[in-house]
Amino acid sequence: MKYAPLFAIQACLALLSGCDVRAVASLPPPQTTSSVKTATPTSKPAAPAAPVPASKSPATQAPAPGVVPDDDRALVIRDGQESWTSASGAARSGYTIVDLGDDWTPFIFEEHRGADGQSMPNRYRRVFLGLANDTLDEDGEPLPAGEKNYLELYGIPPSLGVLRARFLEDEKQKCHEGANLAAMEAVETTGYVAPETVVPEEKRIARMRSDLENARRKAHAQTLAELAAKNPKLEPKVKLVERRAAKKLAMTEVERRLACEGMFKHGVKHVAGIYDDAMRLAVRRFQQKHMIYEPNYLRHQTMDALARAPLSNDHEALVRVLRERVVAATGVVEDGTVDSKSGPATYTGANGQTLPVRNLVEEMTQAAVEQLGLASPEAALAFFKRHSAADFRHLRAAVHLPALPEYYGPNMDLSIVIDRGEVWYDLPWDAAGVRHAQPRKRYPSFHLYVKYKEQRIPLARWQTTIGGWRAEQASDGYEYYRYKGSDVGPRVIRNVVAGPVWIAPESTPIRTLVKPKTVNGLWQRVVNYDELGPGFLSAYGLIAGYLVVPGKGGKPDWDNGIRAHGSSEYLSMSSPEGYSHGCHRLPNHLAIRLYSFILRHRPMRILGDQPANIARQFLLDNDVFEIRVPSRGYQYVLEPPLPVDVLEGEIKGTLKKPILTYVPKPGVRYPGPPPEVPNSAEGRAGGVSSGRSAGGDDEGGAP
Amino acid sequence: MLLAVLGLAAAVGLGAEDADKNPVVEEPSSKRTEDKVTITVQTVPPRKAVVKWGSKTLGVIPVPRPLVVVRPRDSGPLDLVVRAAGFLPVHTRAYTFSDSRVAIKLTPLSEKNTLFGYRQEVPPEGTASPDGGAPPPAPAPSPAPAPAPQR
Repeated sequence: MKYAPLFAIQACLALLSGCDVRAVASLPPPQTTSSVKTATPTSKPAAPAAPVPASKSPATQAPAPGVVPDDDRALVIRDGQESWTSASGAARSGYTIVDLGDDWTPFIFEEHRGADGQSMPNRYRRVFLGLANDTLDEDGEPLPAGEKNYLELYGIPPSLGVLRARFLEDEKQKCHEGANLAAMEAVETTGYVAPETVVPEEKRIARMRSDLENARRKAHAQTLAELAAKNPKLEPKVKLVERRAAKKLAMTEVERRLACEGMFKHGVKHVAGIYDDAMRLAVRRFQQKHMIYEPNYLRHQTMDALARAPLSNDHEALVRVLRERVVAATGVVEDGTVDSKSGPATYTGANGQTLPVRNLVEEMTQAAVEQLGLASPEAALAFFKRHSAADFRHLRAAVHLPALPEYYGPNMDLSIVIDRGEVWYDLPWDAAGVRHAQPRKRYPSFHLYVKYKEQRIPLARWQTTIGGWRAEQASDGYEYYRYKGSDVGPRVIRNVVAGPVWIAPESTPIRTLVKPKTVNGLWQRVVNYDELGPGFLSAYGLIAGYLVVPGKGGKPDWDNGIRAHGSSEYLSMSSPEGYSHGCHRLPNHLAIRLYSFILRHRPMRILGDQPANIARQFLLDNDVFEIRVPSRGYQYVLEPPLPVDVLEGEIKGTLKKPILTYVPKPGVRYPGPPPEVPNSAEGRAGGVSSGRSAGGDDEGGAP
Repeated sequence: MLLAVLGLAAAVGLGAEDADKNPVVEEPSSKRTEDKVTITVQTVPPRKAVVKWGSKTLGVIPVPRPLVVVRPRDSGPLDLVVRAAGFLPVHTRAYTFSDSRVAIKLTPLSEKNTLFGYRQEVPPEGTASPDGGAPPPAPAPSPAPAPAPQR
């Protein structure tokens, strides 16, 4: 094994001075008064050594491993110098060990050990790792060579190994060179124009421009702007023509950038200048790559990212990835979402002082980014160049992070409040099938609190969903609409399931239960397991908490099928049309943070994988499809359960109670009156239907 | 392809040639010594049936024995199509997380209407009255006021 001479000398000096490298004598104690909880992987394989070319200068060299045992090694950076230290010793000294390895998963997918010491394997862990490392697809099958999984929007951040490759690749490419940034920045958003209307619309604008030019010449104006000043009546037309010209220029730049980044799907033809399906798919891929929560069009954030240099976008991705790693290492959840216009929420500390609820997620992330020397795209690129891909397999880093607030502990008095916001029970269409808007100003919200010294301190507040009108398949084989509301009142979460499986009830529209897929070289229809799970597209997302009314006097809990879960329908939480089947959705990455936080700060028991062996058949055309579910997921039990209060919200419209029967779809002929509505718990939570394709922006219960 | 007979069953081994497709990410569970699983495929009622995995025919179920497929452990699911003469084709899935038995219920072509998802015929125009789109009557107002928001 070859090591850089300088680091070998440093290591020898450390040994000669009598310091115990396992006790991290070379690390100063952190300036904190309370130790930060560390996430210590239980059974990680030994890290491979990182060979470093001897010719590099110390500032750009990777540290020489070997002094600290491989399985106890953590990277530490002091005064710009990287070195290895003992992870266990650093943790004892108050450092936080952040797992930067490619074999990292969030807490919920870690493999735990039972009381008997036996490993409790998690079925989805392998798939999560494969997706994060671009080696597997959502079914856990090998990803075709060169394919990328862009799944941050779905709760699966890329591994650092994947980001390293992205940085090194983007350093070489010239996508940003010669780009007309002014053209892109001049346009905030570009609306959708249906392909079939593009040509007529262009002709209309051309005619308008021609008319305006004639008017300009007659008015002896130098420019159209001057014409508009002379004749204010023409101003709207001038603005429209100029806006369209600007959009055309911006569109050309966007196309160039998307093509350069390889976002256009192979085999899907794009017509230049037209926002066709190829363009929409390319924009969607770009948004997925850069974790942009926007519909698949050229909106504000998307345009901003398109105007940025690729390495800047990569750096933002790195910070996002580090954020999840730091959150996992520290077990924090406060992300500034409880701040109001007047500043952060406050609480009274033990000493009587008024203290702010800090944005710990950002505080910790920024501290880690600074200490790891990753504060700029250039620094991050240098970091990735210093380290080989093999370094990232099991890399851990020791960082000194701010102290946790005093209300932290292993048994926090946590609770959840879900405010349904503004609720409509009315049918969203009339007898003629004409749809009527049901606007909402106040959306449903999900609040996490901790009780501390008789105060209820808000920790996080996120937008969520409630149920609404959804299509359901009745026992006569036809689809009807049904109001699938969200229950109100006190509940608890006792069971939390990682990689949950949604057992599709018979009321699920069959069209959503089948998808096309290439199986072993053959394009065929298969059961849509994406929606069933386990997986990031599952109806229950990557993790779910089950809301139940606790049973009394030895009776079992009453489960009405309402869950608070992660979701791939990431736009449904903020869309006016975004309704669930009764469940409370969160973006997957927030659901992972939430439940990881709860599980690590409340007493809980790990039940592990829950084998199910469920099989159900249904008919589609002349083929039978069989749903086979071997497991319900990886189960944790909160003991005691977590209190949840669902507030009724404000009922809008005419109806003050929901309709409980099936309602025929407008324009559909049925064989008879609507059948009875089933009421199983599983039947309450429906599938996501549109899934990965849209992020939920087309999600809506009404026709 | 390794073809072996395990006990009384026909066994199809796909492990060797697919081993390279395993993910490169190492994890503790990959250290398990038992790196293969067996999937036992049979039909109910027992019928000679062709089992296909995409374009590849895995084999024919040699009734009364099942077809046994050997796969690398945790190598991803197999989406199978099972076809038997006189019955509707069945699309099912087998998993490789652990040894498993896949018993597939076959439905005769003539009993298609017993399956969930079979759509009743709509009566001829004019004989049925169901009218899609007409909202049902609104429920009677509750005598008690709606509960007040709890905060």
